[in-house]
Amino acid sequence: MNEHNDETTKETGGSDIATDGGTDRDVVELPDQVELPRMLDFYELQTEETTQISEFYDNLADGQLTTTRCTECDELHFPPRIVCPECHSDELEYVDLPHEGELFAFSTVRAGAPMGMEDEVPFVLGIVDLGPVKLSAHLDDAEYDDLEIGDPVEMKVVEIDGPVDHERVFYRFEPQE
Amino acid sequence: MTRNVGIVGGGHTKWGVREASYKDLIQEAGKAAFEDVSDVTPDDIEGLFVGSVQPERFAFQTHVAPMVAELLGIDVDSMIARTELACASGQAALRYAWLAIAAGQIDTALVLGVEKMNLPRQYDAEAQTSMANVMDREFDGVNGFNAPPYFAMIAQRHMHEYDTTREQLALVAAKNKTHAANNAFAQFQKEVSVDDVVESFPLSPPLCLYDCSGVTDGAAGLILMSEEKAREVTDEVAWVTGSGQTCLASNSINNLPSFSAWPQATKAAEQAYEQAGIDDPLKELDVAEVHDCFSISEIVEYEDLGWVEKGEGGKFIEEGRSELDGDIAVNPRGGLLGCGHPLGATGVSQALEVFNQFRGTVEPERQVPDPETGLIHNLSGSASVHSVMTLARGRP
Repeated sequence: MNEHNDETTKETGGSDIATDGGTDRDVVELPDQVELPRMLDFYELQTEETTQISEFYDNLADGQLTTTRCTECDELHFPPRIVCPECHSDELEYVDLPHEGELFAFSTVRAGAPMGMEDEVPFVLGIVDLGPVKLSAHLDDAEYDDLEIGDPVEMKVVEIDGPVDHERVFYRFEPQE
Repeated sequence: MTRNVGIVGGGHTKWGVREASYKDLIQEAGKAAFEDVSDVTPDDIEGLFVGSVQPERFAFQTHVAPMVAELLGIDVDSMIARTELACASGQAALRYAWLAIAAGQIDTALVLGVEKMNLPRQYDAEAQTSMANVMDREFDGVNGFNAPPYFAMIAQRHMHEYDTTREQLALVAAKNKTHAANNAFAQFQKEVSVDDVVESFPLSPPLCLYDCSGVTDGAAGLILMSEEKAREVTDEVAWVTGSGQTCLASNSINNLPSFSAWPQATKAAEQAYEQAGIDDPLKELDVAEVHDCFSISEIVEYEDLGWVEKGEGGKFIEEGRSELDGDIAVNPRGGLLGCGHPLGATGVSQALEVFNQFRGTVEPERQVPDPETGLIHNLSGSASVHSVMTLARGRP
């Protein structure tokens, strides 16, 4: 990034400036590109300093997909919560979710991906039915044309390498062998 | 105790990839709206409601309602706000203006919807980021769930459960894009056949490129008045007869009630029909502007707005019942598929279309014969919210 700025400075610096209106105008320098800022990174911050569902992410880092269940009314939630939307109790516990499920629906993204995902195009997305919950998922090692509704899929944990200084993880799914 | 409220004027910018800024679009639409009804001036406006979804990302600007007030010379002395409800932001602005007037808080409001989505640096990923973030970003958007793959899954489920066909989807796109070819402000001006649709780029199968609405710059404005004030300025009024809106405590994938039906649309429509005294919408509605963000959406809406049995939406288009001379003329404007979808402006433009159909001021090729009643519908986000408004040419 800085290298690029230096080049720009060289190109527009020195005597070239005199041709731009014929005056000695000061130059306000902006970078040609900005690095992907944290706010444009889709993944949530995952530590206990930044989110009260950090236990979900800790469990996932340990290899287990979990979610919250209300100990008052027994309602199971996904995504995980800190307050039960059914009874508003905050007495919630983390319970394990299955790692295997069925493909409920799927499609593929062949163009028009959001920022930070362009390099993965084309990629396959699906809605995975785990039984207790349905969740959306990125499907790795899957070809759209090979898939059918009801296909068995399984979860894997991926590490997220991005512009924050703590280790982050997320889940993806892939077709079962 | 509510009062009758009507649309007395409105105006539009050209929609598309515009060589214009966010502020340019506001000024163009505002000028057009005020020029449409000469006896209303900015001095008459007591409430200003601006529908706009992501100016923070698209235009690097927030607090946009006061910007509209300044650009159009409006001293707002009662109510001013921007509404954000993703793709239904324009109808949300319209709904709040209607409520404020119906409740007697104000007599005259300007509703302006605006979105600048094509950035000068043509960075499509930035627009797509905004669309993915209308889903639950932490658990759904994060996977790359923006609109095309999500609605592709709705199409897949609808085809799976009800045997809806790829050709039936294409019929919707061909109908709406062909209407748009006769609409001077529409983004897409080319007549399109069923073959063109199914042979277009398979963006997110089963949806092809022509099954998808565009990335669009555009704005539209409407002036609303209480009945008492409206009668002082014009004889041509589109009266708001009903307005409903529903969200079923759900937004993220796991909590949505269905991926092939929108019960929220049914409930919102029932609210509006009841207020409007509509018993049989198929017989009583003449024109409808529904949210065809993707071709499948319009088919689900035929069903869930209560016009046809569940699962029969594909047949509804196949039998020509949504054509200009059908049971209900659906999307004579060209819909989102043909006009494009500048998010905050769409609902405003739909209501203006119904008003113009009542007045007989649209291009003759897409004029519905003597419509007396109309409906606008928007879904938003993961289709978790549905908004419906009914309009009539005759006073309620």
